Amino acid sequence: MWTFGRRIVAGFLIPCLLLLGIGVVAYRSIGSLTSTNELVAHTNEVLDHLFQVRSLLKDGEIGQRGYIITGDEAFLAPYREGTGAVAAAFKDLRQVTAGNASYQPRLDQMQPLITAKLAELAQTIELRRKGNGEEVLKIVREGEGKRLMDELRALVGQLEQEERAQLKVRTDDVAASANVASSTIIFGTAFCLLFVVATAFLITRSLSGQIGSAVRHVQSSSAELQSAASQQASGAKESSTAMNEINTTISELQATSRQIAESAQRVAHVAEETSSAARAGDQTVQKTHESVSGIKRQVDLIVTHMLDLGKKSQQIGGILEIINELAEQTNILAINATIEAAGAGDAGKRFSIVADEIRKLADRVAGSTKEIRALIEEIRSAVNTTVMATEGGSKAVDLGARQFVEVTAALKKITELLGTTTQAAREIELSTKQQSTAVEQVNVAVSQVAKASQETELSANQTMQTAGQLAGLSRDLMRLVQANAHA
Amino acid sequence: MSEPSPVLAQAAALRHAFDRARAIPISSEAVEQIENLLAIRLSGDAFAIRLSEISGLATDQKIVAFPSPIPELLGIAGIRGRLVPVYSLAALLGYSANADHGRWLALCGAEEPVGFAINDFEGYLRVPVGDIYVAEKRDVLSTHVSHLVRTSDTVRAVISIPLLVEIIQRRCCDAGDSKER
Repeated sequence: MWTFGRRIVAGFLIPCLLLLGIGVVAYRSIGSLTSTNELVAHTNEVLDHLFQVRSLLKDGEIGQRGYIITGDEAFLAPYREGTGAVAAAFKDLRQVTAGNASYQPRLDQMQPLITAKLAELAQTIELRRKGNGEEVLKIVREGEGKRLMDELRALVGQLEQEERAQLKVRTDDVAASANVASSTIIFGTAFCLLFVVATAFLITRSLSGQIGSAVRHVQSSSAELQSAASQQASGAKESSTAMNEINTTISELQATSRQIAESAQRVAHVAEETSSAARAGDQTVQKTHESVSGIKRQVDLIVTHMLDLGKKSQQIGGILEIINELAEQTNILAINATIEAAGAGDAGKRFSIVADEIRKLADRVAGSTKEIRALIEEIRSAVNTTVMATEGGSKAVDLGARQFVEVTAALKKITELLGTTTQAAREIELSTKQQSTAVEQVNVAVSQVAKASQETELSANQTMQTAGQLAGLSRDLMRLVQANAHA
Repeated sequence: MSEPSPVLAQAAALRHAFDRARAIPISSEAVEQIENLLAIRLSGDAFAIRLSEISGLATDQKIVAFPSPIPELLGIAGIRGRLVPVYSLAALLGYSANADHGRWLALCGAEEPVGFAINDFEGYLRVPVGDIYVAEKRDVLSTHVSHLVRTSDTVRAVISIPLLVEIIQRRCCDAGDSKER
């Protein structure tokens, strides 16, 4: 990830490098152009010197011809200027071309030719001055002067041609260097401008997007911070209110703790009294348990007797069955005797009466046995009821005895529990006192918390203000960023 | 002085009645105006048998089943050294043959005794002859009943034992004739 600094540095460094490259190229092109210009100037200087040498020689030849033809000394003025300056001009030419090794042989060739030409001119002029026109014509006709002049012209022409060729090459080099320099400057500047514009656009766009996003985040964060600070402030206010309520409750709790401690003291006292009462009750229960055991033994004896009575009743019932059977047999015998007596006629009438009496007795015996059976059934039923009731009583006594045991155990348990209760009540009293102390400490802590809540509320309000200022700053920054983006 | 107990009073009354009965002279006329009956119950219905029409009363006799064309014959029993055919009195009077025939037996006839099994024996009745009257056809369910007797608590049909014996004999003869054929 490229930071803003990196991007900006890169955005400026690359155009600087490009400008540096363009400057280097331009500098080198200008240097090349300057050196090429110097060479061109040198070539022109060489050409000037060549032209001057040839021109001076031509001036000498022109003055020679005018003088030879006219004999007028006035025509010798060009001769005198030309021949007087040609040596210096040749010397300058030799100096100018001293760095060019290829010139020197031809200059060496030109040196004797110039000397010879100057000598031929001086000879002809002298001859003319002396009036030896014929001899002058002879020398001219021989063409030595013309040959020397032609050779000099040829050599100067060669040198001029070479210089002009070099001049053309150098002129082309100058033009090429100028083209390279101008192209580099134009295209490099244009590319650099384009790069700078593109870089500026990209950096602006990127920075606008990222800074805008960051600013929006800052805006939303500041809004959330404002909301959170508001909630924190309201929460701190509620907390402060709750702390006040807690403070009140704790005060009530303290009062209640004191009451609990007093109640625990009373409970311990009552538990001790109850414990002594339970011990007395335990002794009473022990005595009652012994009495119940005696009742249980008596009831068991009653049950045994009643069961014996039931068995006896059953035995009486069996005997009654025998009596009933005997009565029935007697009745049958009496009926049969009556029948037999009836069959015996008058002799059996008295026997019939006796048999009838026997039958009546049997009937009465049967009736009495029925009554006795009914009575025995009632006795048996009563015995059964009594036995069941007695067994129920015995069971109840058993249950009572067991319950007495349980009551004894329960009383012992109650005594133990009362001891535990007394101890617990004392512990409660102690704990309640400790609790009261702790509650006082809690009260102090709650007061401090309430103070802290108020401070938190103030801090939250400050945070809210700061968040509001941050939101305003982010809005301003957003406006700036958006203005830049639009711009 | 405390009152005598009811049981002792009852014993005294019994003693007095017994002594009185022994003290009264025998009157044949009074005897003849009394009818002796046996009160029985067949399948829950009250009946009576004239003591003069039977020759004895027995109980708890073993009855051995005997194959016979007469379905009312329960079997034979050994009474007083003789084999006696025993019929279900309830079946003869038209009650269900599967009903319990009881432990009582009324014997009749001296030469050829016949036993009738009775469901339940209720007692001995001595009623004035005037309390016995002829039954009308609409009052009785069986042809073996000719008279009714009024007792203190109910009206009983008096079964005619001779008529029953005659019917049994006739049916035995009919069964024997059909067997011979």
